[in-house]
Amino acid sequence: MSSAESSRCFFPESVEEIITLLAEGNNRTCLLCGGTDLLVQWHSGVTAPPETVIVINAVPELKVLREEEGHLVIGAALSHRALAVSELVRSRLPALAAAAADVGAVQIQNSGTIGGNVANASPAADLVPPLLAAGAAVIAAGPRGRRRIPMESFLRGYRSIDLADDEFILHFEVPVLPAGGRESFHKLGSRAAQAISKVAAACRVVVEDGRVREAAVAMGSVAPTAIRLPEVEKILSGRPLDSSTIQEATEAARAAVRPIDDIRSTAEYRRWAAGSLVELMLEELSGTAP
Amino acid sequence: MKAVARVRRTWIVNGEERKLSVAPMRRLLDILRADLGLYGAKEGCGEGECGACTVLINGEPRVACLTVAAQIPDGTEILTIEGLADTAEGRILQEAFVSGGAVQCGFCIPGMLMAAYALLLNNSEPSEEDVRRALAGNLCRCTGYVNIVKAVLAAARRLNETHRAESQGEQA
Repeated sequence: MSSAESSRCFFPESVEEIITLLAEGNNRTCLLCGGTDLLVQWHSGVTAPPETVIVINAVPELKVLREEEGHLVIGAALSHRALAVSELVRSRLPALAAAAADVGAVQIQNSGTIGGNVANASPAADLVPPLLAAGAAVIAAGPRGRRRIPMESFLRGYRSIDLADDEFILHFEVPVLPAGGRESFHKLGSRAAQAISKVAAACRVVVEDGRVREAAVAMGSVAPTAIRLPEVEKILSGRPLDSSTIQEATEAARAAVRPIDDIRSTAEYRRWAAGSLVELMLEELSGTAP
Repeated sequence: MKAVARVRRTWIVNGEERKLSVAPMRRLLDILRADLGLYGAKEGCGEGECGACTVLINGEPRVACLTVAAQIPDGTEILTIEGLADTAEGRILQEAFVSGGAVQCGFCIPGMLMAAYALLLNNSEPSEEDVRRALAGNLCRCTGYVNIVKAVLAAARRLNETHRAESQGEQA
């Protein structure tokens, strides 16, 4: 028996049971859902396996997917695959659906979840840029009740999120694409499948009478957390998506990002690619992509 | 509620009911190979990158190295290469791989076949792009993939011909 097998498990069936179990737990207690990040760490020995695992993949409230009052409610335990094939997600949040369809490969998409992708707190998490660009909020639950945390403040710093040890992500509230809205998602990695992103980017624009009324641009792997790029958004606002606007936005993205050199890429490459992804997304959204 | 160190599970493995009592965090890959004697699923990387341990869980391809007993409820259907080998689709895929020169060392092939079968369950006329996407999570270090992709496309055509012949037979 490997050491990772020695953990004891709880099998809660409701959100209330998870709250009680987490409150009674300690720093050797961990939630498990899809396991695509945690099981790798525990079995490789990078992280010691926890004493107690709370298995949450059978809790129905964590698998909700519905539209209400201009946003989608997306349960934390929904798999990438569930999001990628959902007509509701594809039509209301096309960038999120595209990101979910690009995570890992189909085997990982069937296991990994949106809640895990966000809670793992990696600056390279593929689902985070589309959530940021859509203005999503995290709904967390814990012994002190439920909290609504805007995605931007939820990402506190490198590998750090605004979630206490006794709290967990219940679901996400994601504003749907408004009338006249369009979205794009692109990522760059060593290969299309399986590779962790060197840069990932999402964009939402609302175009009215040929001009951008609202713009949101977000990027992963170019700073300690995934970030919005207000410098780029300001340039787009009120202007037509023509070649001079796109060129300015491209340069602004390169100036705005703060990437680092690491095992997957270099800061210089990431800076250049950040601009090129903005250019690609905007050309796509303006209908001028080659 | 009490934390458990063992779980009892009843799964349908390759069409047969199997009862188990295992550590909840035991990997499905170890259960299949060590506890059930099903050696088809292979351990390549052990971290979800290579796809050599791909099995179908309720019809969905998943990696058995990143799946533990605790995540799989009673009544779940698990299909491994041993079960696929007994089906018409499995035999057609096998033949397409063999006659198309899609197999060299063979280590990745059980996972490749499971991923290919999962594709064909949902898409009877896949394009080359569909096949490449469906097999993107399965690494092969021998073949360069070209003949594997061709073999899956050939198997899809062959399956469709078989189905057409069957339905014509029924009409006649």
